Amino acid sequence: MASEALTLDRVDAHYGDSHVLHGVSFALGEARLLGLLGRNGAGKTTCMNVIMGILRPRGGAITLFGRDISALATEDIAARGIALVPQGRRIFRSLSVHENLLVAARRPRAEGNHPPWGFETVYAAFPRLKERQRHVAAYLSGGEQQMLAIGRALMANPRVLLMDEPSEGLAPQIVAEVMATIRRLKAQGLSIVLVEQNPKLVFEIADDIVVLNSGRVVVSDTTAALRESGVDLHQHLGIY
Amino acid sequence: MWTILAINSVTFGGLLFLLSAGFSLIFGLMRVPNLTHGSMFMLGGYIGGSLIATYHVPFWLAALLAAAAVAAFGGVIERFLLRRLAGSVLAQVLVTLGIAFIVSDFSLMVWGGDPLSVDAPRALAGGTRALGVFFPTYRIAVILIAVAIAAILWAMLDRTRLGAMIRAGVDDPEMARVVGIRVSRLFTIVFCLGAALAGFGGVMGAPILSVYPGLDFAMLPLALVVVILGGAGSLPGSLVGSIVIGFIYNFGLVMVPQLAYFILFLPMVLVLVLRPQGLFGRAAP
Ligand SMILES: Nc1ncnc2c1ncn2[C@@H]1O[C@H](COP(=O)(O)OP(=O)(O)O)[C@@H](O)[C@H]1O
Ligand SMILES: [Mg+2]
Repeated sequence: MASEALTLDRVDAHYGDSHVLHGVSFALGEARLLGLLGRNGAGKTTCMNVIMGILRPRGGAITLFGRDISALATEDIAARGIALVPQGRRIFRSLSVHENLLVAARRPRAEGNHPPWGFETVYAAFPRLKERQRHVAAYLSGGEQQMLAIGRALMANPRVLLMDEPSEGLAPQIVAEVMATIRRLKAQGLSIVLVEQNPKLVFEIADDIVVLNSGRVVVSDTTAALRESGVDLHQHLGIY
Repeated sequence: MWTILAINSVTFGGLLFLLSAGFSLIFGLMRVPNLTHGSMFMLGGYIGGSLIATYHVPFWLAALLAAAAVAAFGGVIERFLLRRLAGSVLAQVLVTLGIAFIVSDFSLMVWGGDPLSVDAPRALAGGTRALGVFFPTYRIAVILIAVAIAAILWAMLDRTRLGAMIRAGVDDPEMARVVGIRVSRLFTIVFCLGAALAGFGGVMGAPILSVYPGLDFAMLPLALVVVILGGAGSLPGSLVGSIVIGFIYNFGLVMVPQLAYFILFLPMVLVLVLRPQGLFGRAAP
């Protein structure tokens, strides 16, 4: 089981009275990329919230490299090595680009197997951020804000990276850039959950695919197996 | 006469800044309307004033001790009461108002109903005459100290990692926690700092205003007006707002004493109507 970076085991989650996740289970292998698909409202972001401890699950367990993290506070989960690139980017708007990276910086952990991230490496990966390091983040373009959200997550030197619809609302060329970045991170050995609504993007890049529908896992398999069996995901995803 | 009034206005503005900077940061960062802030000012004045008058502690040492005591009191309120009421504004208003009344009664019991007058430190007594105007040394010192504290606070908030973390917490507390910022610890630090500033301001103000029952509820609305004028969470806003209100209050008292309160709250109403986020505040995104 040591090869599993992150697992959800029969997780139930509610917002007040409304039951949103119904016994969700999936496992992200170390250095793998898991694509989490589902149409709007399926519960993808709720999964992110539960993993980060923003929303307490009412049942089930979440483990990070074999350790239960489901009772930890959000800050402690971050300290254990999970970073989130949230839906809608949610950069700190009144902070400069540099400060956005600064507040999230965390020393690399001993067991990290990719080169450590810091200002230099993040700026090297996203030269546009370097040019704009003194700018207030609110005035960045959408694509730049997404780069900043990714850079901010990397500054923590995470072991697991969660990305919630990083392509949302971006021009196709920028989406391609973001995807290239994700590929590079995966090649460096980072374990990644990529939330997407667009199955084409996910099939290109993911090792494993999980599909949520109304808060339930309806498909969970390797990308290769799904491609081979030619399962029709459209019933779960709407039309693409 | 006008120059004296102007100096007094700026001095009062400096005291208001010490009072409202913390109120503004606490409200901006934690969304807690801390109605004990006037009580912190008064408690600082009483504690520092007693140390000076009764125990002959040197003025500045007494001011620091009073600030520390008030900070500790603030920390207790934040950790044990406000922490449990996170997100519920009405409960926070009621609890802080309740504590303000308790402090008010407690002070009356301990320090009695007579004003406690405190002498300015001897080194700063008297004044200098220049260009035909008398400059009282202590008041000038209060202005300089307020400006120095404003500069230090600004540097801390604007130029350090801790300050950036606080601002990140203001922008998006949930996301701040996601990147690992211990927002609740920062809240406590900011709350204690705000209380300390108010307590320190109370001692600084004691030689000018003296300390008397009711000082707490005289100061609290002024802090509210300053923060609404300047914008919650904005230090430059607090500074400018404090000086503006210092002028309006002092000149108002002299020129139209019957309308002093009216013209004090008029700019607040105007700002609320025309620019609800305050002069220096940012509109909610
Ligand atoms: N803060 C919230 N309060 C109440 N219901 C919510 C909240 N956030 C999301 N929901 C509901 O939970 C369900 C799942 O939402 P979400 O996880 O955001 O879906 P997705 O990210 O897959 O689009 C939706 O029905 C949504 O309306
Ligand atoms: Mg979502």
